[in-house]
Amino acid sequence: MASASRGRLLELAKLQCSIFSTTFNPNRQRLGNKILRQRLRGPTLAAYYPRRSTTVEDVIQEFKKFDLAGFNEDEETRLESIQIAKLRGKGAPKKKRTPSDTKKKGKR
Amino acid sequence: MASAFRAKKLDLGGFVNIKVIRDHTKRKAYEQFEPQRQALRYIIRNTSLPQRMRTQAQLQLAQTSCYTRPTQIKNRCTMGGVGRSVLRAFRMGRFQFRLNALEGNIPGVKKASW
Repeated sequence: MASASRGRLLELAKLQCSIFSTTFNPNRQRLGNKILRQRLRGPTLAAYYPRRSTTVEDVIQEFKKFDLAGFNEDEETRLESIQIAKLRGKGAPKKKRTPSDTKKKGKR
Repeated sequence: MASAFRAKKLDLGGFVNIKVIRDHTKRKAYEQFEPQRQALRYIIRNTSLPQRMRTQAQLQLAQTSCYTRPTQIKNRCTMGGVGRSVLRAFRMGRFQFRLNALEGNIPGVKKASW
């Protein structure tokens, strides 16, 4: 059996590539096609944390159109406990107003 | 600089923590800039393009904000914001996973006993 010439083999490879829609690259150059083949991972990565959906506050706000009043029980208990803590003197500290205030305190 | 990527209004629904917000912002920034990054990466890897062009692409990729890099993204617990020992399949830290599994919140998970 006579072996085919190099030119014929190259032609065959070129035809194969055109049929199976692959890139013809006989010199095995690095053309970076593997990056074009990669899928975009962004959408799956960005969907990791649960997104904000309708909250109790939104529902109350919507019902205000129809003159219906509701109350957010969790929020009210939270505010109540904050009030209790403040009465006991265990509330959050007061916010500093200007940066110079804290500097003076630091020097003393 | 990095805060430019952050959403003006909080768009997370579950447990929220500054670390969680930061990670979420990075994820969204990566999603936004992914095609641009991949294009630059393609130019860099393609040896048939002129060397000058490839070097320019390298510089440009290096100068993009660190928030657009996939390596900055870290899987955190969606229930407690913990960054360590997070089970990927449940998106939960080990302790939150245990609590929720014992409570029966995770379908198909049962405490082994034999």
